[in-house]
Amino acid sequence: MKKTSSNLTKLIILSLFGTISMVLLFLNFPLPFLPPYLKVDFGEVPTLLAALIFSPMAGVIVQLIKNVLYLLFTGAADPVGVFANFVAGVSFVVPIAMVYHRFKGNKSLVSGLVTGTIIMTIAMGFLNFYVLLPIYSGIMGWEMSDTAMLSAIFAGVVPFNIVKSIIVSILFIPLFVKLKPWIKQKQTAFN
Amino acid sequence: MSSIIIGQYVPANSVVHRLDPRAKIVMIFCFVVFVFFANNTLSYAWLTVFAVASALLTQIPLRFIAKGLSPVWFLIIFTFILHLFVTNEGTVLVELFGFQIYSGALIQGVAISLRFFLLILFTSLLTLTTTPIEITDAIETLLNPLKKIKFPVHELALMMSISLRFIPTLMQETEKISKAQASRGVDFRTGPLKDRIQAVVPLLVPLFVSAFKRAEELAMAMEARGYQGGEGRTRLRELVIVKRDWLAMLAFALVIAGLFFFRY
Repeated sequence: MKKTSSNLTKLIILSLFGTISMVLLFLNFPLPFLPPYLKVDFGEVPTLLAALIFSPMAGVIVQLIKNVLYLLFTGAADPVGVFANFVAGVSFVVPIAMVYHRFKGNKSLVSGLVTGTIIMTIAMGFLNFYVLLPIYSGIMGWEMSDTAMLSAIFAGVVPFNIVKSIIVSILFIPLFVKLKPWIKQKQTAFN
Repeated sequence: MSSIIIGQYVPANSVVHRLDPRAKIVMIFCFVVFVFFANNTLSYAWLTVFAVASALLTQIPLRFIAKGLSPVWFLIIFTFILHLFVTNEGTVLVELFGFQIYSGALIQGVAISLRFFLLILFTSLLTLTTTPIEITDAIETLLNPLKKIKFPVHELALMMSISLRFIPTLMQETEKISKAQASRGVDFRTGPLKDRIQAVVPLLVPLFVSAFKRAEELAMAMEARGYQGGEGRTRLRELVIVKRDWLAMLAFALVIAGLFFFRY
């Protein structure tokens, strides 16, 4: 009996984390010096927190909910972009959670964030080269050569993802340090 | 923040609103695939007439539909201009600032941006005429076959419904917390980038803590009412396919058949 209850609670917590991600998307923080297409959203923060409190899989679920919510609310104008966001979130959060759960401690969080940033940047580079850019150029009816795609990736995609992860990290490290005692308590309650 | 209308749903009582959400999703999915089969003036015109007629049938004021399209206007126009200057097929029509605009480029530009427009217009009709909760229900039943491979369809749908239900609540809460923090002197708007990002921390801590509290309360409330998972659970909103839905799908099939008739 106790087990089902904590499972249901966990399920609801993950849903609410998905909602928080969505709410954070609506909070626009005006950030100067950044081009307008570089939208800073803190949507990855709840995903990351869920992955660190529970498991990497929990992070994947929160990311999935966040993206489906986004798709429902923006009218599916850009499903490819939403898919890209999902992959980016997963490839960022899963390595961090794996590193963290293996070693614990604040130091492992920092090395996890670095690992996550590197893996996410590489993964998004490959995804853009093999999937996203070909799809976009297919829709636009505009052939892109390999060199054009590579320059788009190294000039746009790679710096974007690095800046985005740095911003998320700047926010997440103090947040995590503050929440840590409380997270410890929650982890014992759910495991 | 309370002025933000989340979602695009515009209530009305049109035929399109009353269609079964599953039928709508299936038709939109097919439309997205078949748009790419249009390859001449007649087939494009045929699809445009169909998409515009569907949009008119929703009885939603055009400005709402245009608002839904607003984020992509730029892309549509950009695609058009790009094709105008990059493609060089056909005869030269005009010369502009040293650039030659070819007839082939004009045709290509119109065709590609029209295809783009049709895709966005038609898919946006789903979210304009269907509430998010209806879409979730529809996705749940459409994904039901995946239960055979142990994919947790019911659990995911439940999570989606809970998330949707709490969006307004958590938005209010976020607003409340940010006002409370602002009254204590937290500054979200000025200062160096790093400080501004970290000013979000005192906003997030209470948000996460209260999410846990809410979750515990909701889980208890659900179990007190006998919730025990998806097995044998009945629904508040039953989705039933009626004659209207079959007729709409038949009409859609005819439109697609027409598309293949008009293309060469």
